[in-house]
Formats: sequence, C-alpha cells, structure tokens
Amino acid sequence: MAFALMGPEASFFRVLDQHRVSLIQSLKEGPGEAPRKEASSSEVLVSIENIIQDIVTSLARNEAPFLTLDNRSNWENIKFEDSVGLQMIPHCSTKKIKSDSAQSAQRFALILKILSMIYKLVQSNTYATKRDIYYTDIQLFGNQSVVDNIINDISCMLKVPRRYLHILSTSKGLIAGNLSYIEEDGTKVNCTCSTAVAVPSNIQGIRNLATDAKFLLIVEKDATFQRLLDDNFCNKLSPCIIITGKGVPDLNTRLLVKKLWDTFHLPIFTLVDADPHGIEIMCIYKYGSLAMSFEAHNLTVPTIRWLGLLPSDIERLNIPKDTLIPLTKRDQMKLDSILKRPYVTCQPFWKKEMEIMAELKMKAEIQALTFISSDYLSRVYLPNKLQFGGWI
Amino acid sequence: MEARAVCEILKYVIIHWKKEAAELSRKALLEGELLVSIEESTPKHRADPSHYVTTIAFAGSACGDLVPKQFLKGIQSLLSGFSGKLTWPSEEAHCAQDLAGLASFQIKIEVDEKPPTLMADCLVIKQFLHRTSIVHPKVRFHFGGEVNGILFKETFGVEKEPVVKLLNGIGLLTSQHHYMRPGFLGAQQVCSRIHPVLGHPVLLSIPDEEANMGLLGQLTLTPAAALCPCHKLHPDQTSRISAAFVFLYGPSGLPLIFPNQEHPLTVFKDNSYLFDWKKYHLRAAPNSNISLEDDLVLPDVSYWIESHERSWPQDSDQQILLLFLMVDFQGGFPAQLTEAWGLQSLLLTHLNSILLENQSLVQGAVQTAVDQALEQHHRRVKAQQKLQASIPVAVSSILSVVAGSTRSSFRALCLQTLQAVDTQEFRRRLHEAFQMTLHQRSMCDPKKQQLPEPSSSAEEREEGDESLDEALAGSCCPGEAPRPKRSCQGEGVGRKAQAASWLPLLSLGEAPQRSIGTGPTCSQARGWGGPETRGEDTLWLQEVSNLSEWLRAGPGSRPVP
Repeated sequence: MAFALMGPEASFFRVLDQHRVSLIQSLKEGPGEAPRKEASSSEVLVSIENIIQDIVTSLARNEAPFLTLDNRSNWENIKFEDSVGLQMIPHCSTKKIKSDSAQSAQRFALILKILSMIYKLVQSNTYATKRDIYYTDIQLFGNQSVVDNIINDISCMLKVPRRYLHILSTSKGLIAGNLSYIEEDGTKVNCTCSTAVAVPSNIQGIRNLATDAKFLLIVEKDATFQRLLDDNFCNKLSPCIIITGKGVPDLNTRLLVKKLWDTFHLPIFTLVDADPHGIEIMCIYKYGSLAMSFEAHNLTVPTIRWLGLLPSDIERLNIPKDTLIPLTKRDQMKLDSILKRPYVTCQPFWKKEMEIMAELKMKAEIQALTFISSDYLSRVYLPNKLQFGGWI
Repeated sequence: MEARAVCEILKYVIIHWKKEAAELSRKALLEGELLVSIEESTPKHRADPSHYVTTIAFAGSACGDLVPKQFLKGIQSLLSGFSGKLTWPSEEAHCAQDLAGLASFQIKIEVDEKPPTLMADCLVIKQFLHRTSIVHPKVRFHFGGEVNGILFKETFGVEKEPVVKLLNGIGLLTSQHHYMRPGFLGAQQVCSRIHPVLGHPVLLSIPDEEANMGLLGQLTLTPAAALCPCHKLHPDQTSRISAAFVFLYGPSGLPLIFPNQEHPLTVFKDNSYLFDWKKYHLRAAPNSNISLEDDLVLPDVSYWIESHERSWPQDSDQQILLLFLMVDFQGGFPAQLTEAWGLQSLLLTHLNSILLENQSLVQGAVQTAVDQALEQHHRRVKAQQKLQASIPVAVSSILSVVAGSTRSSFRALCLQTLQAVDTQEFRRRLHEAFQMTLHQRSMCDPKKQQLPEPSSSAEEREEGDESLDEALAGSCCPGEAPRPKRSCQGEGVGRKAQAASWLPLLSLGEAPQRSIGTGPTCSQARGWGGPETRGEDTLWLQEVSNLSEWLRAGPGSRPVP
C-alpha cells in the first residue's frame, strides 16, 4: 500500500514500535482469545423457532407464556477479565418477561414482533438497520431506544452477535488516516483524504483492510476530531489513523476499532476529556459496557491506553485555572462509581489520575489546551506524548 | 303517611341520641339499639283498612336523662297532620327492663291502613333504617313484625362489621354487600370491602335568602368516594365503572331525603354537577330506576356510566362508584331538639340553591376524593388496555414466523399443538389462548399463585408484578372481611327469617309472635364468623400470606420445582 509519507522521521516512532512489540508479545503469552461464536443463519432461524414453539406449547397448556432474558444491566452478573474486559458470567440471573402482566406484556409482544422481523431478514438474507425496524411501526415501538434495547436483549437471549441477526445500525462514527478497505458492496474506501469517512454500517462485510499506521488514536469528541483534521494531524504524524465515536461510541465504531486491533495489532490510544464522562467513554472502548457485556469478546480492546487528557496534565502543563470546570455532584458520583469498578484495581495509574481529579474537584476539556496555544494539541501535546510514551 | 311518621320519630330519636352523645364526645360513634316492630291488631273479621300498631323501642348509652312526657310532646308537635294515634306506654313500662345495662323506651303508633299501603310503608322504613345504619355502624337497627299474615324480621348493623370512621361521630360500613348484590361480579373476589377515600370538608357559603330562612351558621360538605367492589388485588382484571351512586346525609348522619321521596335537589340532574366525567373518558346519564324493593341500600341519586373509550369485553366486571356527601350544620347557638330536627327539612328545602351557589367548591372536593378513588381504577384500565393491545402484536408475530417457516416439522408441530388445521385457525386459537391466560390471571386463583414458577435459574426476577407490591403496601383490605349478621339477606320483607338476637328488645312491647311456616334456614343468614365467612377469611389470609412471602422472598428465593 503506497501512502504519501509526510510524517516525522522513523525515530519518532521508536517508543511506539516498542509498545507495539510488547503488546504482540503479551498476546502470545496471554490466554489467547476465546473462540467466537459464529452462528449460521439456520441456527438463528432454529433458535427463533424454538422460542415460538415454547410459547405455543405454553398457550396450549393454558399457561401464560414468558420469555427469559439475562439481566444485562446488573453488575452481579458481570465478571472482569483483564484480557477481555467486562463479560457476563455463564449462569447469570435472569428476568421473566411475562405475557400476562401489564408491566411486561407490551415488551413481550415487541420482542416477538422484532423476532419475527429478524426471522424474515435472516431467511431472505437481507439486512435492516435498527432505524428501519423502528420505522416499520413508529407508534408501536414508541421510540428508537425501545427497539435498540430489544435488539440487544434478543442478541443476548439467542447468544448471537447482532450482525448475525441481520440488523445493522447507522454509524455515527468517523475515521480518517492511513487506512483503506473494500466494503461489502465492493465500494473501495480510502481514508487518507482530508475529510473523514463515516464508519461503515456493516463492519463484518468489509475486507481488504490495509494500513501502515503506527497507531490508532480514538478521539472522544467530534469537535476535537475535526480540529485534528484541520491541523493536518494525520499527515503530520503519518502514518496513523484517527477515529471518533462522537461521544459514547456506537457498536459499529467499537467493532471497527476491534477489527483494526485484531487485524493489525496497532497501539491504540484514547484522547478524552479529563472528566468522569471521558473516562467512562474510554472504558467502554477498552473494557466494554454493562449492557453489551454479553458480546464483550467481539467489542472490547483491553490493550487501549489512555493518552490524554490526564488530570495530572492539568498541573503539569499549568493549564489556567479559569479554563477548568468544577466537578458537579453527578460527576462526583460517576467518578466514585468508576473507582469502584473491578477493572480499576488492575489500572493503578488510572486510579491515581482519578484520585487527582477527585482531589482537584475540577475537570478539564481537551479544548483547555487551546488556552496554551491554538494548535498546542496537534503540534505539541500529542506528538510529545506519542514520541515519549506519555500514555498509561 | 305512617312510614313518614315513623321515620320522623326515628330521626328525632337519633338526633336526641346524637345530641346527648356529642356532649360526651363529638367524635365517638353512636351506640345503642333501636327496634321498629309493626303488628296487625285488627280482629280477623274486620274489613280493611286494618288497624296496625307500630312499636318503636330504643336503648342507648345517651338516653338516660330522657323525660318521656316531654319527649312525646316534642314528637307530637312535629307530627302535625298525622292521623294516627301516638302513645307512650305506661310509666311502669318504660325503663322497666334494662338491656345490657342501657335504659330503654317505647313509643306506639296506631294507624288504620290498607295492607298494600302498609307493605309499601314497611319498605320505606326498612330502607330508612338501612341507610341510617350505614353511617351509624355501632347502632343495631331491628325491623320486624307481621303484615297481612306475613312475618318478617331484619337487623341492620352488626358487631365486628368493618367500619371506617369518617367525621363527627359518623362512620361508614365497608362491607360491599350493602351496595351491591353478591354475584354481581364475574370474577372471584378476595376482598369484600370498599375502601372509602375521605375528601376534604368544604365550607359552603349560604346565600342571604337562605340565611334569612333560618340557616345561620356554618354549613360544611365532606365527600367520601369508593369503588365497589374492591379490585386492588386484581389489577389485571377487566373492569368498568357502570354506575355511580350518590348518598346524601345531613347533620347527625341522617338521610336528608326519605326513600322514594320526590326531592327538590335538581342540581343532581346535571350529570356534570359533581364530577367531570370526561376527565376519565366517562359519560354519565341519570338513572331513575331505583326500586324500593331492592334489598341494597338505595342511593339518593344514581347515574349510569359509560366509557367513551372502548367497548369492553363481555366478561368484564362492573364497578360502582359510591359517593357519600356528608352535610353538616353548626349554628351559632346550641339548637333545641325540635330545632335540630326541623333543620333537616329546612336544609333539604334550601340545599339545592346552596349547592348551586357553591358548585365549584363542591366539585373540587368531590373531584379530589373521586380522583383518589379512581386512581387505582384508572391504572387498571390502562394496564388492561396494554394487555389487550399486546395480544394482536404477539399473535401476528408468532403467526408470521410459523407461516413463513420453511421447516415443515416446525409448522406442523405448532399447528398440532394448538389443534389447528390451518394458519387461519391457528391465529384464532392463538388469540383465544392468550385471552384465556389473561382471564385466568384476572381470576387470580390463590392456588395458582402458590405454584412454583418454572425457572432455569436460581436467581430470577419477574417483570410486571408491581401490582402485588402495591396491594400489600397499600394495605388493601386489611384484616378480615366479615359478613354482617343479618336475617335473610336479600329477602327482606315477606320472608320468615331465623331467630335474631333482638328478642330481648321485642319482649319490651307486646310483639305477638305468630309464625307462619318454618321455611329452610336462609343460606345468607350466616353471621360473622360462620362457615362461609370463615372460608372467605381463610382465602383472604392465604392471599395475604402468599403475597407477603412473595415479597419477602425477593429475587432468587422463589420456589423452584
């Protein structure tokens, strides 16, 4: 793959290369990745038929049918493994979605409705987005989050990743830098252009991925991402890739990050605000979320490192106090909650940074760096951190 | 005329009682016993009209200082125009016997009446006693005698019947059998009580014209609302409000309107006077079809209620909205007995214009009480709508998978399981089966609740049972739900009932006992604590126990097979 190399000298990436070698080494020494479930279409169809069969049998016995779902949003059902992140325990607690209860009957019916739609999609080998499903009956579903939640429940219930349900979601993420690939429909995509490319909707379908990137930088916010593009960051630090999920990442952005890691074993860094929300977003990329813990193996990248903005940077760089924002009560609660999570114990440096934040009682946005200099982020902060290993 | 006279005397007695009791405690419920007995004293050969003697006997804690002659004189002055003969038995007769330590008195009324007229009078008196007994739950009202050769006997107000204290020494009997017939519902009931919500009292402004007519003082109206029967333990049960009954009570907890009386309260003809029905998507129409022969306590005003929203399943249960309006009057000075008695009719005469003047106040107070009473109903209606709306979605989804499947074994198995020959029949069967499961839940079989839940996990939580929490947290139907001790409930006048506990009082008067026939024991005459009641109580206690266990257990502790 021939990309125009305008970046720094090779010695600039010495520490990064060493980091990459150590990551690959630890992968070889580690337990290895768990075998991923690759469900065939016929298996998905049979799973749905079994559910329907159980319901019909219950009805024939004059018993109100119910669906049993794993409790996805309960920390008690989650275990932490450094190499995987947050994942569901094998025999987790469940909840019943009853057909004869006013509180859950509607959910029961909606799950069946979406199951029947998935059945058709899988049968006809066609795909639909979550938005498409919502728009089939706006009144019935009420809002998009209902559909999203049910799809996750179904994915968890059938123990099948969402893409095998033939449901896609419209991506909100953007990517730019030293990367090219071919989408499922044959479209060739080159991300080296100055404008960002939308993260594809069908990550599973993309092929011929190619890159010479030395690292992948995950940027929390779109505004920072655009600023880096404007500052020609990708060329200045070429070869590299930058990606943003525009806040809390969607599944496709997470899947793409995971795919890039799996394919290239690139060092991956995050650039987030020095606030509890930014840390939370970083944790989602690295260790996964509670709600999607059942699919952790396909989504998490535990090798991700925290590049910035670190709370310790606030004092180290003498960021003006008036650019800092006091932590709200909600921020404090969030910070406390993150500090109690199982993965914090194996990240002592993260814990230290969070304690600094708690002590300062202040948070800082990435934009705070512009008070030092308008292009301080792309010209000084990031290059220095990347060159000298300023990540944790 | 006799019925009216008897009722006026009864009013007079109760006002006296109430007045005396209030001197001790305004909040204490009135206690005592009152007997009305009607007997024919005409020789058999004499042509009609027959001569009847009505005995009114009463015994109460607050009639010790009653001076019989003055009392009789007071009554006589009130009954001007009454053609019958009013007598007070001999001095020796009164206070001759103590009943449970209470002094007792008798009045006799002699009239000549045709038997059909007297029969109608009996119904009016009975209804008056029943209405009064509802709000004076500690007074036992006995009504009996013999008319046209038919012996009858009835007691209203029994010990241990559940009571809710309302205000100023007024209570409310909460056994639902007073307001609706047993078997009115389709579904099995666990709770046999009503749960009145007491509204806030409103001070009614009295227009000058009415004030000048003698109504100088403070007039308050306190509403209380309840749904009958109670469905709190059956939140998923289909129910609709089919009627609204208004019971109007005046000072001393006396019915302001006599049963069957043409009253001047035209405000109630306006369906929306008391309540904004539209708020709950209901509409009301006046119901004038109130029969005195009905054995229930009869409302002063009745409305048919219909829902704007939807047509209800045929098997949906019906509920009645009960609205009690308690009107009280406090004059500037203590009223004499006769003045207090006269206030009742004075109030009735002027209440219409007073209510008109205070419409927004009255409606606000009623609305608050009814809102609270209907809240549960409203939630249940919403829940029911959710359940019903879910069925077609579930059915069409299942059908879509079954009909769209290319696996013939799966299709065949599904159709066979529901014994359907084709997908059309399969759809119908699915629909019926879902409806059946909802119906079964609404029946709320306590045994079913005890069945272990099928569970693949030791830790399992159910979504959708908050109603049970509510039922317990809201202390629905606490304690027992006893039936009143009542002779021949639902049979009333014209039937011979079994022995009642009011014989000691009867023996005070002449009360000739001539029994005709010895019919079978009335199945509904079992008293509180009888086998039937015990069964109901056991059921209730079982239900509470189940719910308590269910709640105490929490997730993961549910019994597993």
